Amino acid sequence: MVRLEKIEYKPMPIRDLLVQMKDISELMIDLAYSAALFHSRELAEEVLELERRVDTLAYILEMNAMLAARDAEDAEALVGVYTVAAAANKISDAAADIAGNVLREIGVHPIVREAFRKVEEQLSRAEVNPNSILAGKTLRELELAAKIGVDIIAIRRKGEWIINPKGGETINAEDILIARGAPLGIEELKGLAGGTIQKLED
Amino acid sequence: MASTKKLFRNITNKLVELKDTSEIMMDLAYSSVLLNSRELAEEVQELEEHVDDLHTEFELLVLSSGFKPTESRDFLGLIRLGVVAERIADAAAEISEVVLRGLEPHPILKLVIEEAEETVTRVQVTKKSSLVGKKLRDAQLPEETGMWVLAIRRGKKWLRPQPNSVIKTGDFLIASGYTEGEEDLRKLASGQTISEV
Repeated sequence: MVRLEKIEYKPMPIRDLLVQMKDISELMIDLAYSAALFHSRELAEEVLELERRVDTLAYILEMNAMLAARDAEDAEALVGVYTVAAAANKISDAAADIAGNVLREIGVHPIVREAFRKVEEQLSRAEVNPNSILAGKTLRELELAAKIGVDIIAIRRKGEWIINPKGGETINAEDILIARGAPLGIEELKGLAGGTIQKLED
Repeated sequence: MASTKKLFRNITNKLVELKDTSEIMMDLAYSSVLLNSRELAEEVQELEEHVDDLHTEFELLVLSSGFKPTESRDFLGLIRLGVVAERIADAAAEISEVVLRGLEPHPILKLVIEEAEETVTRVQVTKKSSLVGKKLRDAQLPEETGMWVLAIRRGKKWLRPQPNSVIKTGDFLIASGYTEGEEDLRKLASGQTISEV
């Protein structure tokens, strides 16, 4: 039996819903390709997690859009919003399919993977340990891009996602960081987040 | 074996092109809605046809590679990556159709896509330009001009801008940003100096 979460109507601004759908679907594409090209089951799982979230957002958006249309003029204005939301949902489905392939061990040919590594920056996931020196600091203070060449492109915090976090965002213990950067920088980030590296060199 | 090497290089290049083009299409499609720009929307539609061709070429390359049965899963993975790029391109085309059908984009869409972007422009980089040979990261266009590069067109190829992308003579930069930045970008690309603010 397939069990799907029951989705109830929630009054939410359509704008916020659509921003989230757009941002998440774009993150998903990057994560999914990275999962396939770097053969990472871990990233693939994150993609599937995000896909469930986009589905939920899509339902809530549709319900809100239906209630927002009061006449033909409203309907004409909203159909574009609906189309963009549907496209974001399609993109997230496509990304989820790549992730599904990774989990089913349908790989990408190793020679192609190798070639891709040279042109694509790797995405990676790092969990922040309570004793990490990252915990409690803002992204601006840390200057990870300047110091280790790594960009934090998303943070997962207790089931919530912060996509493209701003400089003022504070990293908390137990956050999952999604980062983009060269392999060496990514290794360093994992060490810093895991607490095995206790110093951020300039 | 040189020919195998070449084959894989061709497959990889085609896949990179397919993937990058589909992602450029997404950026252009969102921008077309934001700016209610038929010009950009039409560009997306053209790229959609281009992607269909690329996808076919990619699939033919993969299928004619003479892979062994033991490698079939690895090649299936490749085929599926191509399918996904094609689906992303389709989604982008659908977004741009909102504009081509003359539906005035709802104010919500403009708020969603970007608060600040106001114009999209296309400039060509001349050989006198200080941008030639620079990486996008070092060119610091957002800081210098307030313009953000959405795509680079090099001959018939569309490139997705990445921090490491090197700008070449003859490149068309498609960029969005404040109207005031347009002139500065044009000057930079053509090799004139920007007046200091």
